[in-house]
Amino acid sequence: MLIETLAAIQDLPIAVALRNGRWSYAAVNGGHVVGIALLFGAIVPLDLRLIGLWRSVPIRTLKRILVPVAATGLGLAISAGLLMFSIRAVEYAAKPVFQLKLALIALAIANALLLRRAAAWEASQDMVGIAPPLRLRVAGAFSMLLWLSVIACGRTIAFVD
Amino acid sequence: MLDRRTIVKGLAATPLMFAGVAHAHHGWSWAEDATFEITGVIRSAKLGNPHGILKMKAKGEDWTVEVGQPWRNARAGLKDSMLAKGVELTVRGNRARDPKLKVVKAARITIKGQNYDLYPERVS
Repeated sequence: MLIETLAAIQDLPIAVALRNGRWSYAAVNGGHVVGIALLFGAIVPLDLRLIGLWRSVPIRTLKRILVPVAATGLGLAISAGLLMFSIRAVEYAAKPVFQLKLALIALAIANALLLRRAAAWEASQDMVGIAPPLRLRVAGAFSMLLWLSVIACGRTIAFVD
Repeated sequence: MLDRRTIVKGLAATPLMFAGVAHAHHGWSWAEDATFEITGVIRSAKLGNPHGILKMKAKGEDWTVEVGQPWRNARAGLKDSMLAKGVELTVRGNRARDPKLKVVKAARITIKGQNYDLYPERVS
């Protein structure tokens, strides 16, 4: 059932076109990288603030800039990633490192969403000059660790069977 | 503890994590410099981005041949139908440095006496 679905995905016209294309494939590949750059480039400064750097800058100010950039990057990375996945869906889905990557992405997104619901998050929006609460520091550290691991897994896909 | 300097150092070190991972596929660094040649029969072919891969039987051994992306194969004059199961071919290229890996990256493929140069500058 799953294998049939995956096989159908890689037979989609767009998957066939990308599998045989030159610049279309390069463009999607590049889009994935740009998405990752925006996501990681925005999330690391925010995570570092959560950990305790730049305490004079309110989280509210920082997040207004960095959260939309990170979310846009995530959306771009996922869109381009799905297109690249479609090229060899059966093969990628079977790779343990790819499965691990998906699980880590889910954890990283859950980490961010759970933080937004935490009382400590709401309470620290305008705090300046003091160490952030433990809840934020933990979330920030996990976020960096998880996204870095996601990138490492992604990079590894090309090098392992 | 976690001060600025430690964090900067940590970020600077992360590329090193990836440096040792590469072995197959990208570039030629994983392959020997010396040219290698092997003749065999294709058992299966998986063509298309990001890499074209042939499984080949040669001298009773199972070999993996890395061919080009579609544009490179097309430029060399190779059609997908020529890289199909049962076709006998000679591969000239560079094999993996690790002798346990029976993998060769093709620079030239010869079928029925006809040369198809994937990397003309490497076989001239």
